[in-house]
Amino acid sequence: MKLTTTLTVGAALSVLASSAFAYDADWKRGRVYYRSVCTSCHAVAPIGSINPSTKTKAEWAAYLKADKHNKGKDTVKQYVSKAYRASIKSGNKAAEKFADTPDQELMDDISAFLTKGAKDGDAPATCS
Amino acid sequence: MKHAFTRAALVMCCAGWLATGPVLADEAKPLKLTTTADHTKFKELQKEFKSGPEVTKACLACHTEAAGQIHRTKHWKWEYLNPQTGQTLGKKTVVNNFCISIASNYASCTSCHVGYGWKDASFDFKSEDNVDCLVCHDTTGNYKKPPGFAGNPVVKDIEFPPGSGKIIKGIDLSKIAQKIGKTSRDTCGACHFNGGGGDGVKHGDMDTSLAAPTRDVDVHMDAEGLDFTCGTCHSSSSHDVAGSRYTPTAQDKQGARIRGKADKGNPATCVACHGNEPHKKEARLNQHATKIACQTCHIPTYARGGIPTKMVWDWSTAGQRDAEGKHIVRKDAKGHITYESRKGDFTLAENVKPEYVWFNGLVTYTLITDKIEKSEQRTKINTLGGSATDGKSMIWPMKVFRGTQPYDPVNKTLVTPHTAGNDDTGYWKNLDWDKAITVGMKDSGHPFSGKIDFIKTEMSWPITHMVAPKEKALACAECHSKDGRLAGIQGIYIPVRDNNKLLDTAGWAIVFLTLLGVFGHATLRIVTARRH
Repeated sequence: MKLTTTLTVGAALSVLASSAFAYDADWKRGRVYYRSVCTSCHAVAPIGSINPSTKTKAEWAAYLKADKHNKGKDTVKQYVSKAYRASIKSGNKAAEKFADTPDQELMDDISAFLTKGAKDGDAPATCS
Repeated sequence: MKHAFTRAALVMCCAGWLATGPVLADEAKPLKLTTTADHTKFKELQKEFKSGPEVTKACLACHTEAAGQIHRTKHWKWEYLNPQTGQTLGKKTVVNNFCISIASNYASCTSCHVGYGWKDASFDFKSEDNVDCLVCHDTTGNYKKPPGFAGNPVVKDIEFPPGSGKIIKGIDLSKIAQKIGKTSRDTCGACHFNGGGGDGVKHGDMDTSLAAPTRDVDVHMDAEGLDFTCGTCHSSSSHDVAGSRYTPTAQDKQGARIRGKADKGNPATCVACHGNEPHKKEARLNQHATKIACQTCHIPTYARGGIPTKMVWDWSTAGQRDAEGKHIVRKDAKGHITYESRKGDFTLAENVKPEYVWFNGLVTYTLITDKIEKSEQRTKINTLGGSATDGKSMIWPMKVFRGTQPYDPVNKTLVTPHTAGNDDTGYWKNLDWDKAITVGMKDSGHPFSGKIDFIKTEMSWPITHMVAPKEKALACAECHSKDGRLAGIQGIYIPVRDNNKLLDTAGWAIVFLTLLGVFGHATLRIVTARRH
């Protein structure tokens, strides 16, 4: 019983500790990446640029959770990954600037920007 | 069951320690690198705040001197005594040709004051709790001070104006307070990008495109590159931000500011970083830099970020109603408003070429106490000092904003109408100049004859932001041509623009005679050498 109690308390503290160090998403960095990488590519593709304000917060959350880009042919994460940034950094200053940013941090940044800039977000945003 | 629970606890424990693995491993624990204090950890901020001053009290518990420092600044006082002219200036006093004046419009205009509650002339400028820390230090981008609330944020959803059906969403001050940080382009821009009542309206070289600009829009603020914030140039000391439009630095001879070098100069000039001889490859351009402001060549056009700026505002056409007696709004093909019943006609423009003048930094304002005569000439809201010969002037780019605004033809003064406000005398609601000007002039404390006319005015705004990359700076021919950009600049000789037939003929004659002499001499030497 004593062991169980100790472990339980330890487990709770561990989870709390991990959450205390959770990454604090930077929506401004997300804004730069979204506009400079996502939009710069979308603008020339047939689909065109996508304003954050074209979807609601829930729709963006669902989109990012599903992680399906180009109707599921590839993933969103792929375009945020270090590998992708490395592949385009010679021609994309944002990819070069954020070349070493951990994938999940950058994904969180983009998510924060999309949440903020969503149709029902705090500051509905455009691509420019 | 007991064993299963123990196993679960073990798994959670391991998961938890794995999650905090970096703490125990070689890497340093995750921490914020942009601040030395994580404000989410402060108990003083872990509470519900029902008003702005409540937040300020919490801030001042630690930052004891901050409010006092703010109290000494233009951002707080909105008042400035120009030591060169002796004029008392500042938003509290000056009249412009955009929304004209803050008198009697406080509750709307002071949404851009760094304070809470300035709703009329009785505002307590000594109150520390009235200082608004969040407006400059918000990092969430969610802090808003809607016009009409005297600089107060809205913390609960509210219909405004009452009966309009428009809901202003309340904001969570606790969340915002816990995330405070350094100032940014977004915080400064919340007001400075929106001067004159909307995005890009007033300045022309500042609009929301500068929040995260490309290199082409501003080479220094380029979000993918140098990423300057406003504070990088407009460095502050004791909360006082460097740079002034009332006493601008037109000519900076002090060279680049070097650490340890004592100077009281303006750190926001180009020279403060680039020095007085900034061109390394083309030394001839440094000669230009003795007479031409950097901005003249390096800001070829303003309003370059895709957002138009207002160039003309004609208040005299305001007041029209449709057949049903309702206010009218007209827009251009891009959806920008070009006419409003409550404001009159506008002209907007993007990628605007500046106008150029000699400017020595001296700015004299036409104040509401000054007598003015209506004539064909536009009345200058601000008159710029400068000439080719005073030794202090440079050729500067300007946005010249032209307007037609109400004035008192009997007292011969500008007037301060009461425009904003959901009341019977506010012009924007009732379109009645008599009431609006009577109330506004009473509030500003100046006489009004009861007669109203309109007068043409102009106001100059030095262009200094939206610096283009060097490869997009002006080419020689932009000025060195007959009808170039500096066609109206007097007192200086500009090759090509100023060619004179007699002078040119004489010059070419000298060249011809020189060549004739050289070749003649050479021919004679060759001929005489052969003879020997």
